[in-house]
Amino acid sequence: MFMNAVEISNLKRQFKTTIGVIKRQTKEVIAVDGISFNIQAGELFGLLGPNGAGKTTTIKMLTTLLIPSSGTATIMGLDVVKDAEKIRPRIGFIFGGERGLYWRLSGLDNLRYFATLYYVDSNVAKKKIPELIELVGLKGREKEKVEGYSRGMRQRLHIARALLHDPEVLFLDEPTMGLDPVGAREMRMTIRDLQSAKKTILLTTHYMFEADALCERIAVINKGKIVALNTPEKLKTTVRDLSVVEIEIFGIPPEFLEKVRNLEYVDGVAVETRDQRQILLVHTPKGPSAISDIVEVLNGLRLGKIVTREPTLEDAYVRLVGGQM
Amino acid sequence: MKKRFITNVKIFFEGAILSYRALFRWLRPATYIASKILAPLTMMIFFVFIGAYASGNNDASFYVIGNALIFAASSGIFGVTMSIGGERWSGTLPYLFGSPANRMAIFVGRAFMHILDGMLGVFIGLGWGILLFGLDLSQTHLTPLLITILITTFSTAGLGLLMGCVGLITRNVMLVNNTVYFMMLLFSGANISLESLPKWMQVISNYIPLTRGITSTRLIVAGAGINEILPLLLEEFLIGIMFALVGFFLFSTFEKQAKKLGTLEIF
Amino acid sequence: MKKIKDTLRIIGMSFEIELRQNLTDGFVLFGIVIQPLIVAFMALWMLKDKGPDYAIFIVVGSAMTGLWTTLLFNGGNSIRGERWAGTLEPLVGAPSSLRIVVFGKVLANVTQSLLSMIGCYTFISLIMGYPLTLSRPIFFLISILLTVFAFVSFGVIIASLFILIPDFQRLQNTLEFPVYILCGFLFPIALLPGWTTPISYILSPYWAARALHGSARGMLEINHIFISWVLLIIFSAIYIVGSGALYRLVLKRARVDATLNTTG
Repeated sequence: MFMNAVEISNLKRQFKTTIGVIKRQTKEVIAVDGISFNIQAGELFGLLGPNGAGKTTTIKMLTTLLIPSSGTATIMGLDVVKDAEKIRPRIGFIFGGERGLYWRLSGLDNLRYFATLYYVDSNVAKKKIPELIELVGLKGREKEKVEGYSRGMRQRLHIARALLHDPEVLFLDEPTMGLDPVGAREMRMTIRDLQSAKKTILLTTHYMFEADALCERIAVINKGKIVALNTPEKLKTTVRDLSVVEIEIFGIPPEFLEKVRNLEYVDGVAVETRDQRQILLVHTPKGPSAISDIVEVLNGLRLGKIVTREPTLEDAYVRLVGGQM
Repeated sequence: MKKRFITNVKIFFEGAILSYRALFRWLRPATYIASKILAPLTMMIFFVFIGAYASGNNDASFYVIGNALIFAASSGIFGVTMSIGGERWSGTLPYLFGSPANRMAIFVGRAFMHILDGMLGVFIGLGWGILLFGLDLSQTHLTPLLITILITTFSTAGLGLLMGCVGLITRNVMLVNNTVYFMMLLFSGANISLESLPKWMQVISNYIPLTRGITSTRLIVAGAGINEILPLLLEEFLIGIMFALVGFFLFSTFEKQAKKLGTLEIF
Repeated sequence: MKKIKDTLRIIGMSFEIELRQNLTDGFVLFGIVIQPLIVAFMALWMLKDKGPDYAIFIVVGSAMTGLWTTLLFNGGNSIRGERWAGTLEPLVGAPSSLRIVVFGKVLANVTQSLLSMIGCYTFISLIMGYPLTLSRPIFFLISILLTVFAFVSFGVIIASLFILIPDFQRLQNTLEFPVYILCGFLFPIALLPGWTTPISYILSPYWAARALHGSARGMLEINHIFISWVLLIIFSAIYIVGSGALYRLVLKRARVDATLNTTG
């Protein structure tokens, strides 16, 4: 048994894109820029980052779908490039979303097909498939074509498929994306159950609270680099000294935003949309006593409720990825 | 009045340029060469050899001319059809409906590029004919030939317009396209002389574009002058207009239906 | 032993899935039914002067054009369709070998296309009133089975090109007629320049066509039919065996170039 289920060392991945028709120019885009981390066996590890940070690319390299430009990665001691064929039977992955399923087939047929492709013994499959269908809550709908499934149902079918062959390591790329709150909560419970079943799980998400709630450790990735790697608690302490002042606003011109940002003890600002409201978040160690200065700077703008609160993981994340939301 | 005309002309050119860009955006030079120059050649070779096998003689000009003009049909049918039918797939159809611009200008603008592209295809086909199959153009008067090719590509573009509008409501545009294309192969006299077709098929041949274009071209290569082929060209031109008009009519009908039902779901 | 069983299971499953996907696709109908019929009709008319007993030659030849077109377009589009639907990645990421999955797909397409041969046969004999007698029925039957093998093995190689080159679809049209020409579907390759003959010889569909035409029309001596069979089997086997290394290369390249998915 390996201590580390996943070991990544200085992994890099570039992509070439071409621009132009007659005179084609090639541009190199660096999606993953030298990341390293390890995941212990049985750990639920989170990879957190904004869109385009390199999460999906990292997962694709670990699931042998992309070959790294440089660097190494091993899964249970097996190299993702050289031993790809040995790795594949032992891992499961979902990229979720609309794609990756056969729309013209039923959910059941999708599962039957992949069970065959994963060399699941037919007697085992006969029992396992109905179990999985029930587990992900698709019972009764499994004979319908996937094209008629809702987004949430498709997501759940993805999970069922990933579990067909009882893999040791699971890679879940944004598993709750597109799910309604109830579905998302159920998905998270399923993920916790999987962890109790001693599976190693690498989860990517851009929902901060989700990473906080589920993961034992989190790596924050931005622009292809890891900017932080720690337990949720410790990550929050990086912002422990900060308070967050939340001011309800009704539109804020950029120059006002700059003015707040330029205040001496302001660490970062961000604007967030919550329900129908717009909230200005100001990170400052000064806490409530900064309010009067901020309000003065925002003179002329209509302001709503003002609240000071403790920082959350979300704030730590915002700070780490540079205050862009 | 003058302003409307200028607007329409602008729309025409914008449609043309858009088509041009759309045509070339997906193509790399290699692919363009392959599909425009090589693929048609392979079809020509195929039919020339069948013809040789059938008749035992070596005169390929019958098949060369037929197939060269079929390339025009290819631009008309696939090019024009897709540029209109493609609206449905790119989801821009509603915008077309909503715009006050004269639809004729838009469609004709789009077709324009494909007409040029079609003519190019015919020249390439004839070029191959000369290069590989000894096509003899010594008796040919160039002007009638050019006019014939222009009118033929125009009339197939007219068919393309109609097919494009049909393509807006069919689920499977490519199926329709390919069937029509192969029908043209069969009925237009490209590889089978019209006289040898059964009577009922000859009737169909008379009502489709391309047939007269092919006949005219064969006559021209044999030395005929503009006078002999003028009636044929006129008819060819009219057929093209007819198909285009039916296409516009269909499009307006669809538009009215869609607006009445308040839905574009039929598309 | 288990490996063989698993392989057969995968082929069977892939075959079934491909068949079902095709049945809901109208364009498939075109390649399978409409195009061969039109080609048959054209060839019939063009070769009319050669006499009515050429009818069987035309039926067999145009059915083979249908077989190849189906393979090229449906098979190729199938791969492209998987890429666009995002299912190519899960297929590659699964432990089973992609080339076995492709084998099943191609087998499905070829089998469906065989229907066209039967369709052509029936249509032409009924409507045209031409005698369509097979000169050597048993040889013909065996030749058909071997033809399936020839086309499927050829198809597996072609399919790899669709995996390697994402927009290979643009070049599809260029490959359509050359195979008709070089494999002698509707006219003997003797008409072609001599330097093309070696190319014809290494294409397994050429030997299939020879065997089929030979046993249908009786144009070949029996031992020549045997030779065609043997060469068909040899070349098809080379394709199958060679496809192992080919797919490894193609998939490695695809994973480096990120072409398994449309979004890389």
